Amino acid sequence: MDLAAELLAGKVAAGARAIRWLEDGDRRGQELLRQIFAASGRAHIVGVTGPPGAGKSTLVDMLITELRARERRVGVLAIDPSSPFTGGAILGDRVRMSRHALDAGVFIRSMGTRGAAGGLARATYDAATVLDAMGYQVVIVETVGVGQDEIDVVALAHTTIIVAVPGLGDEVQAVKAGLMEAGELFVINKADRDGFEQTRRHLELLLHLRAHRQDAASWQPPLLTAVASRGEGAAAIADAVDAHRAYLEASGGFADQSGRRCEQQFLMLAREAVLGRVLEQAPPQLLAAVRERRIDPYSAAQHLLQGLAGAPAA
Amino acid sequence: MSRPLDHIPVTDQAANDDLSAEAQRWERDTRAPFVSTHPERRDPFVTQALRWPIRPLYTPADLAACGFDYRSDLGFPGEYPYTRGTQPNGHRSSFWTMTQVTGFGKGEDWARRARYMLDQGLQGLILEHDLPTTNGYDSDDPLVEGEVGRAGLAIDSLEDLERAFDLPFDRLKYLMSVCNAPQPVNLAMIIAALEKKGVDPRQFVLHIVNGILIEYTCVGRYIYPPAHGLRIATDCIEYIIREHPNWAPISIISAQLQPAKANPVQEIAFSMAIAMAYIDATLQRGLDIDTVAPYFHFVINVDMDFFEGICKLRAYRKVWARLMKERYHAQRPEALKIRMMTSPTTIALTLQQPLNNIGRLAIMATACALGGAGDNMTTPLHDEAHSLPAEEAIRVGAALQHIVAHETGVAETIDPLAGSYYVETLTKQIEAAAMVEIEHISAMGGALKAIESGYFQRALGREQYERNKDVEQGQRKWVGVNHLVAPGERRQIEIFRADPGMEEQQVARLRALRARRDAAAVARALEAVRAAARDGSNLVPPCLAAVRVYATHGEICNAMREVFGVHTPDSQLTGV
Amino acid sequence: MAPPAARPLRVLLAKLGMDTHTVGITVVAHALREAGMEVIFTGLKQSAEAVASAAIQEDVDVVGISSLSAGHTRSLPRLARLLREQGGGDKLLVAGGVIPQEDLPLLEQAGFARVFTMGTDTRDIVAYLQQWWRERLAAEAPPS
Repeated sequence: MDLAAELLAGKVAAGARAIRWLEDGDRRGQELLRQIFAASGRAHIVGVTGPPGAGKSTLVDMLITELRARERRVGVLAIDPSSPFTGGAILGDRVRMSRHALDAGVFIRSMGTRGAAGGLARATYDAATVLDAMGYQVVIVETVGVGQDEIDVVALAHTTIIVAVPGLGDEVQAVKAGLMEAGELFVINKADRDGFEQTRRHLELLLHLRAHRQDAASWQPPLLTAVASRGEGAAAIADAVDAHRAYLEASGGFADQSGRRCEQQFLMLAREAVLGRVLEQAPPQLLAAVRERRIDPYSAAQHLLQGLAGAPAA
Repeated sequence: MSRPLDHIPVTDQAANDDLSAEAQRWERDTRAPFVSTHPERRDPFVTQALRWPIRPLYTPADLAACGFDYRSDLGFPGEYPYTRGTQPNGHRSSFWTMTQVTGFGKGEDWARRARYMLDQGLQGLILEHDLPTTNGYDSDDPLVEGEVGRAGLAIDSLEDLERAFDLPFDRLKYLMSVCNAPQPVNLAMIIAALEKKGVDPRQFVLHIVNGILIEYTCVGRYIYPPAHGLRIATDCIEYIIREHPNWAPISIISAQLQPAKANPVQEIAFSMAIAMAYIDATLQRGLDIDTVAPYFHFVINVDMDFFEGICKLRAYRKVWARLMKERYHAQRPEALKIRMMTSPTTIALTLQQPLNNIGRLAIMATACALGGAGDNMTTPLHDEAHSLPAEEAIRVGAALQHIVAHETGVAETIDPLAGSYYVETLTKQIEAAAMVEIEHISAMGGALKAIESGYFQRALGREQYERNKDVEQGQRKWVGVNHLVAPGERRQIEIFRADPGMEEQQVARLRALRARRDAAAVARALEAVRAAARDGSNLVPPCLAAVRVYATHGEICNAMREVFGVHTPDSQLTGV
Repeated sequence: MAPPAARPLRVLLAKLGMDTHTVGITVVAHALREAGMEVIFTGLKQSAEAVASAAIQEDVDVVGISSLSAGHTRSLPRLARLLREQGGGDKLLVAGGVIPQEDLPLLEQAGFARVFTMGTDTRDIVAYLQQWWRERLAAEAPPS
């Protein structure tokens, strides 16, 4: 069974197995990735993030329907938090998208964060590459939606949709500070709720300030509204996603972002690899010494470096 | 002796004031030394569902500590706040109406079973529908194979109900129909079937459960999104209040929250919040609280923790009365007096050693009676692990109620446990906690918002997990399951298998019906349903017109699906 | 490249057909999560086709069906067949709920390894799955 060939031909079971290997850190996953890497880089990666209660899953469900109507093949990575204590997780996002369960043009994969912070799962990059190589033209990455540091998706995606929702109370928290700078599309979901006007004015102001800081040629993020539970607003979101892609392609930003994504992942993998090797070679007493406070952390780190071949003395 | 003693030495009043000091002395000097050589058999002692600590002893000091006051907390039977009962004479004038679940199979089977139950002395029947019907599908829909007529009656069209209603309506006092999501269709079918049989609807009480909000919360038999579900339910409530004022248009079946592991505080709070959602929606139709509130009805069950059950029932009466008075400013006593049906819960019964369940049912039925059985009591059957009732079990269930009523004496005086230091303390604690939770739910926007955000479902999911752990880890002893387990007992669940030909026969009837009816009339009627769904007018009249021309159950439900869409909650909203 | 310390078992839980009782499946889902497994819940009122498709996309190790009504004699074998046809024949199939003894041979023949009758302790379910998984991992060629 040539899994790479099957994967490139779009076979679901092959792609699913590849994602599993990559998630598990199975050697076969890396092997596979080498074989399919060249076929990736074409998919439009769309991140969807926002606070809990914003209705991200419903919005994604609606967007899938719209994109399918435009005859795009859609991959979805739905991320939910893994328990920091047990490592287990209940991954329930796909229930929201169950109407697409029998559509051959939609591939939905649920992922637990497995210890990663930042709103993404450890293997999200790889899973996106697999779906990309399989031929899905749009890959939607729905982040966890809890916690303060939801900005990892921005490094991964070409287009990040920030979902806000009225009536959360604290307008400043309605959209996390970092996201305001980095999101490409803003959607106020549940637009029929009380507090919509305040939320809209607030976001308009922030976007206005952002526009001032940036030069005129850069992308002006649109502020859209939706009531995803009623299927309202999907067309405008899909249009904006397409418009951003066109903008990126015209400005060379599309390839840029794909490249930056690879660089990000390379650095992450390199960090892990180097750290793993260094710790393997570290004297076993070093960790005990740190724990027993016989040596401070900085000096201990220096000791580690000295252990590496060719490293300068502290 | 034929009369109680009439000179018992009166205790010194001043001594009562020193009672907590006395209790502490007793604890220190008498109980604690004993416990040091006779360790307690449990640690901690907690109630079954709430897992609240149970003290070794309750005294008047505990009543004082929770601010108990006879007049404001209890009052008198038939008077606000109705804690001791909504009826002025308890069960001394008449007992509660004794009822039981009935329906399965094709119309004729239900009729036969119903006649048998009436012969056994039951006066009320509960009509359950099969899963295809409660989920809004016809028997020939590919999604429903294997389910037709299995969990209840299969009603695809008016014809099916006409067959089921071959009954002595003069002996029938009360009929309850359970079919929440497609309620306007089911209601229309019943009205039309009664017309065809020439039955005078004023001769008995038809009670539709119409409880879609609980379906979203924990049962799962919904079709349309929650806001539409509420609108549909309100249409049915309004229709009945205006057209059939002697019928009952709604039942809050708290007895479905309980098997989903709602504890008594959650039961009261969630069910009251749900009731208020319906009330608020009905008030918006131009009806007033004194007209609307008397129509509300609760089905509440008790579990094996004797006192949790009794205190819960008493607290229910008080909380309803307070809400109607304080929030809605209802004036009429009928608005302030809760209507309830009580029942032992099926989840206390075991598959193992089923004869034990007769004992359990007797205890729980007694708890219902002591808590104030309400207008009706229904007893599940001791061998409900058999998927649906066998006739012997029906007889036993009916007899149990008569035994409690006639042989135990618990109904000879009104609210006999009142004044018990434990019962009054626990009742007050449940009431207080429930009122806080009701406030909390109101603050988040009420029951509809709680459902849409998954608040109820997540709370219940947590309770389910915790309670299951209690049993698995042995904190809760359950005879036959984790205590006194009969070795080698391998009990067979006898799932009720409907007559294999039943589904085919039902499908054939359906096809024949479609072939011979007036297709154009049906199409027009369905369009009228869609129009009403869109423009907001009451759905019951167009559903009635549609069932009369033999539009099918599934067809009418689909017409509404086209306008309202369907509800697909994510796992957050199912509690998983 | 060092693999993650523990690779969680992936379990898909589903309810087929009209049955919407969720207490059993909720309790099992939580117990599996507490035991460190990833639980993919596909929801209520699913068809065998939808569950099979989800199981393949999610590449789960285990498919667990909860059934408290009687449709299982047709829908469960159909699910097993669909999984095999779509390349998921190596997944562990288990079922739970109200399933009478006389139906067990039929389900076993259809590919269900184990049926957990009502009242099964969740710790037994967890232990069974972990044991199966240990044996499965030992049998697979370990990646170097």
